[in-house]
Amino acid sequence: MTTVQFDGTWLGGEGRLTPEELQTVTFPVSRLGRRGYEEEPVRAFLRVVHGEFVRLVNERSSLWQEVQRLRRRILAGEVDGNDPQAVLFGEQDAHVHAVRILSTAQVTADRYVADAQAYSSRVTEEARLRRDEIVRQAQQHSDMILEDAHARAREAAVSALNLPASPQTDREQRAAQAELAYLRTYSDVYRSHLRAYTEGILRGIDEWERKEAASFQEAAAAQEAAAVQEAAPGQVNQLPGHVNHRSIGR
Amino acid sequence: MDVARLRESFARVAMHGDELPLFFYSDLFIKHPEVRDLFPVSMATQRGHFVDALVKIVSRADSVDDLTAFLQGLGRDHRKFGAVAEHYDAVGSSLLATIQHFSGPAWTPELAADWRAAYELIASVMTTAAAADEQRQPAWWRGTVVASERRAFDVCVLFVRPEPRMDYLPGQSVAIETPSRAKLWRYYSMANAPRPDGMLEFHIRLIDGGAVSMALTSDAIVDTELRLGPPVGALTLSQPSSGRDLLLVAGSTGLAPLKAILDQVTALPQPPKVHLFFGARTADGLYDLDSLEKMAAQHPWLAVTSAVSADPRFEGETGSLPDVVARHGDWSGHEAYLAGPTEMVQEAVTRLASAGLAKDHIHIEDFGWSEP
Repeated sequence: MTTVQFDGTWLGGEGRLTPEELQTVTFPVSRLGRRGYEEEPVRAFLRVVHGEFVRLVNERSSLWQEVQRLRRRILAGEVDGNDPQAVLFGEQDAHVHAVRILSTAQVTADRYVADAQAYSSRVTEEARLRRDEIVRQAQQHSDMILEDAHARAREAAVSALNLPASPQTDREQRAAQAELAYLRTYSDVYRSHLRAYTEGILRGIDEWERKEAASFQEAAAAQEAAAVQEAAPGQVNQLPGHVNHRSIGR
Repeated sequence: MDVARLRESFARVAMHGDELPLFFYSDLFIKHPEVRDLFPVSMATQRGHFVDALVKIVSRADSVDDLTAFLQGLGRDHRKFGAVAEHYDAVGSSLLATIQHFSGPAWTPELAADWRAAYELIASVMTTAAAADEQRQPAWWRGTVVASERRAFDVCVLFVRPEPRMDYLPGQSVAIETPSRAKLWRYYSMANAPRPDGMLEFHIRLIDGGAVSMALTSDAIVDTELRLGPPVGALTLSQPSSGRDLLLVAGSTGLAPLKAILDQVTALPQPPKVHLFFGARTADGLYDLDSLEKMAAQHPWLAVTSAVSADPRFEGETGSLPDVVARHGDWSGHEAYLAGPTEMVQEAVTRLASAGLAKDHIHIEDFGWSEP
């Protein structure tokens, strides 16, 4: 599908706006600091306009075809003034009627496919954005851990250097001690961050498991309740499928 | 046959926009229900193609060579869709019925004769080209997916064994249809030169909402039988070789045709110098960098530069691919091959041209009429 960017002038093919163009039009983003409409309500409105537009176009075309048909029949001199049925249901028009019915069915099918495709496109796009965000956060987090570990290890090394040195301690040994202190602190800090991070992930998995078990239980209970309701005659105020659906969707 | 009268008639019926092809296909399917199976569930795109083809035919009615070439291509192209000679009569009768329906009182016996003659001419050029093509190659190849490698969260590399063996030029593409997305054909480039075992490599990127790419990147694709159309495309090494060094610019899975060309160059007795630029949005989009770097280590004539456009942490070239290519100096003496997202390719072409590389030496993918 090609995207049309609306720049205030218009219009695409042969100067006529089509429902498809309504679905794909984009608008330039307003410059920073300037007020503009929220994008989503504009999109939602365009969807409404699109639906209405399609309906009008179809209505108009079926009216046009009706006019053509009646005109043809009048020109052909087939109209029998005493029999209005002849105008409405002439045999020759059966085919054009069939064509119109099939066309309407086809357009409906097209719309289902287009809707499904738009939906899948939205879901994939959202998943991609979420993934980018999760990766970005994880990178930031790991940067932070490394930076923190560096900073604290540096402190430890500096304090090791500043220890009062005994006369027999040469500089090399002091440097080695500083290095050791640096590495020890670095790995301590890194380890504790890693532990906290891993624990966080494990907590997330526990939570997930717990929720899944709870929703299974709930679904089973609901199914049981539904079965009981179904068995009791005269108590059909809630369809079993409905109960089931609700509890799983929760 | 009065071309001016036909044009005028077409202009009148074309005003009805989408109603025209809608009526045409419904009429066709009611009279010949078996033809419906040749088309996808949604006909929205198909109707657009139908009108586009009619507009092209009418607008080129004066330049016979141009029109003939277009129709021959169209005829060959329709073989893989399962179109046979009998279908052409059915289409002709529905086309006439449609134009008659929308012409209203303007429909005369002379106009009907004009349209019939015009359609017969069109159909004969198309069927003749299709018949000649039938002597040369199958309408489509059976392609079994032997393996699928997920290289990034949205990129898969497929290995497909065609039956019978397919001959093609490195850089060419085929239209692919998967069983789960019947009658939807999408073009993909082979990513290797023809091999002794005939295996084809394809690089598939998952497009948001892309029906076919979604099926092709699914894990269930292994062992499925695809249909492959005949190889098409002119993004191929110039023959005889120009003797110039090569610049290859690949954005994302646009790498596929260029890797096929690289594959071909590797087998040359005296390969030219090749500089391959491979760009993606983020580092994990450089899904084939390992194998490219391995090749670069093996072949002294090959240099590979990778670049990432939306990840400042990347420890290599960052920025848009056209920028990165331009930063790397003077390409005016090269033969350039580009593939990837349309905007990136166009931008790179503009930059190379303004830096003094003649258009003749810039090669891009051009599917022309063949776009399904």
